[in-house]
Amino acid sequence: MMLMRDLFGLSLHNLLLHKVRSILTSLGVIFGVGSVIAMLAISEGAKRSALAQIEAMGIDKIILFSKRPPVDGKSESSDNAGVMERYGLSAKDVSNIMKMDNIERITTVFDARKKVLKGLQRTDLKLIGCDYQFLQDSSAKIEKGRWFSPADYQNNALVCVIGKNVKRRLFAIGDTDVVGGSIRIEDMVFRIVGIVDNVYGTQYPEIGGQNDMIFIPITTARALYKDYTFVREGYAYKITRIEYDLFLVKIADTSYIDNTSKRIARYLEKAHTDTKDWGMVVPLELLRQRERTQNIFTIVMGSIAGISLVVGGIGIMNIMLASVFERRKEIGTRRALGAQKADILLQFLIETVFLTSLGGIIGITLGVGIGSAITYYSKMPTIYSAWSIILSLAISSITGVIFGTYPAYKAAQQNPITVLRAE
Amino acid sequence: MPDKEVHQSGDIVRLIDIRKTYITGDLQVPVLKGIHATVKRGEFVGFIGTSGSGKSTLLNILGMLDVPTAGQYFLEETEVSQLTDVEQATIRNRKIGFIFQSFNLFPHLSVEENIEVPMIYGRIAGRIRRKRALDLAQRVGLGHRLGHRPTQLSGGECQRIAIARALSNNPAFILADEPTGNLDEKTSDEIMKLFHELNREQGVTIVMVTHNPALGPHYDKIIRLRDGRIDETLLEWEVKKQEHAVFKEIEEQRDKAEVEINEVTQ
Repeated sequence: MMLMRDLFGLSLHNLLLHKVRSILTSLGVIFGVGSVIAMLAISEGAKRSALAQIEAMGIDKIILFSKRPPVDGKSESSDNAGVMERYGLSAKDVSNIMKMDNIERITTVFDARKKVLKGLQRTDLKLIGCDYQFLQDSSAKIEKGRWFSPADYQNNALVCVIGKNVKRRLFAIGDTDVVGGSIRIEDMVFRIVGIVDNVYGTQYPEIGGQNDMIFIPITTARALYKDYTFVREGYAYKITRIEYDLFLVKIADTSYIDNTSKRIARYLEKAHTDTKDWGMVVPLELLRQRERTQNIFTIVMGSIAGISLVVGGIGIMNIMLASVFERRKEIGTRRALGAQKADILLQFLIETVFLTSLGGIIGITLGVGIGSAITYYSKMPTIYSAWSIILSLAISSITGVIFGTYPAYKAAQQNPITVLRAE
Repeated sequence: MPDKEVHQSGDIVRLIDIRKTYITGDLQVPVLKGIHATVKRGEFVGFIGTSGSGKSTLLNILGMLDVPTAGQYFLEETEVSQLTDVEQATIRNRKIGFIFQSFNLFPHLSVEENIEVPMIYGRIAGRIRRKRALDLAQRVGLGHRLGHRPTQLSGGECQRIAIARALSNNPAFILADEPTGNLDEKTSDEIMKLFHELNREQGVTIVMVTHNPALGPHYDKIIRLRDGRIDETLLEWEVKKQEHAVFKEIEEQRDKAEVEINEVTQ
C-alpha cells in the first residue's frame, strides 16, 4: 500500500487543482453542516434562555400561591356581594409546612392589592409586602440603593424598594434621585431606599413579574392594610381576605424535592378541603419538562438539517462517480505503474473525505455566521456548543466515507487494459 | 558488440505457449494461438505486427495487465500469470517499466513528481525519490526541467520524462507500447536513439511493441506476429540486413523532402 502521507498530498493536490469544482461539489455538505450548526445553536440558545428563566425562580424551591377558587355555583354566585370571600394560603399553612422534613425556610409574600397610580392613570404595578429573605430567594439584584434592614421590619418603616420597570414607568428617564425620593400610594407615602433588577424578568403565578413590583416590608404591609381588601362591585363592597399570596419554600436537599412537594400537596389538599384555592409550581420539575421538550425539538430540527447532509453526500457521490469515469486513463496509468487496487481505492476515498471535511469546516463557519446574523437581527440567543461542532465535523467526514466508498470501489475495479485504451 | 554489458543470468522473459481466447457470448475468439518467445537480459526486442495480429493482447500479458488463457509467463524465472492481484501489482511496479504511446504523464504533476510516481507506489522514501528523479532526468537530458509541467514540454521531452519514470524503480525490462507513435520523425529518431543508448550503454532490457515495419538499427531481435502466431523471428544480423535497405530508402526520402522545403523557402 502507498504511503499515507503521499496519498494525502495527492488528494489535496487533486482538490486544489479543481478549486471551483471542489467547492461546488461540497456545497451540499456546506449547507447541510451550516444548517445543522445554526439549528443546534438556535435551539441551544432557546433552551438556555428558557432554562435560565425557570432556574431564576429557584430550582431549590417550591412555589406555593393562592388562587381564587373556581366559580362552581355552590360556593359562590355573582350576587353574593357583601359576603366576605376568604381563600388562599394562611399563617397556619406556614407553620404546618415548616414542621415537615427537608424544609429550610419559607419566604412569605403578600399582595396589598392597592391601586398604584401614575398621575390619575391606574397602572398594573403591584404593592407587595415581603419577608426579609425575599431578595435572596428571588434571584433579583440590588441595582441601586439597598434592601430593607431588619430595623425596617421591626419599626414597620414606610420604606419601599422598587423593581426596575417601576422606576421606568413612574419616573422620568433622567431622574437621578429616585432612590431617596418617595412614592405615594393612596394615602401613604413611602420613601424609596433601593431599586432591584431581576434580569430574567421572573414571573410569579397570580401576582406577576418581579420588575413590576413595589416592595415594602411585610410587617409594614400588615400594619397598614391588614389582610383584607374591599372591592367595590356595583353598589356593594365585596370583602376578600387572603393572608398570603405566595410562599417561596426553600428545600434543604433538592434530591428529595419530589417527595417534599408531594407531601406539601397532600397536606394542602387536606387542609383546604372545600376548595382548591392554592397552586404549586416546582421549578425543578418545570426545568426537567422543558429540557425534555427542548431536546425533542433539537433532535427534530437536527434531523431535518441532517437530511440536507444526506442530499449533499449523494451529490458528492455523483460527482465522484463522474470523476472516476473522467480519470480512467489516470487510474489505468497508475495501475500500470504499480498501484494496487487498495491504493486507488484509498486515493479516491481520501479525496471524498477531504471534500466533505472541507465542506464541514466551511459549513461550520457558515452556520456560525447565520447564527450570529440571527442573534444580531432578532435578538434570539444562539449558543455554539463544542460538541455540536465536533459532531458536525465527524458527521461530514463520515458522510465522505459512506458516499465515497462506492465511487472509490468503482475506481479500484476499473480494468487497466480498457481504461488505458480509452482516450 | 564489445561495448555492450551482458549479464548472463538467464532469460528476463520467457513465454511458453501463451494463448488468449476472448469469449463473447457463444463465440470464442482466439487472439493468441501459442506464443513462444524469450527476451534475454540486455536485449532490445521488438514485437511487430499489424493491427489484429494480437500484439496489443501480448503487450497486456507482458505487462501483467491481462492474464493468458493458457500458457506460462516466466519473468526472471518466476511464473507470474497466476499470481494474485496484489502480487502482480508489486511485480509490475518493481520489474516492468511502462512506456505508452501517448506518454500518459500526469499533467498536473511536475516532471519530478511524475518520475516519482512508481517510486511512491514502491514505498520509497521521499528523500531518495527526489535524488533518483534528478539522476534520471539528467540521464534523459532533462535535468533542467524538473519543476516544469508536462504541458510546458514538447512531445519528445514528454516521452523522455516517461522513459525516466519507467526507469525509476530499476525494472527488469522496459515495456514500450508504440513509443514514437505520437511523435514526428525527427523526435522519433531521437527517442529511438535514447532507447538505443540505454540499451547499449547501460544494459537496459527493452521490449518494444509496434506496428512500424521500419525496423531501425536498434533491435537485437524482431518477433513478427501475424494472426496470433509468431510469423518469423529475425535475429540481429538479419535485422541489420533488412533495415539497411529500409533505412536507405527512408533517408533518401527525407533528403529529398528537405531539398524541396529549401526550394520552397528560398
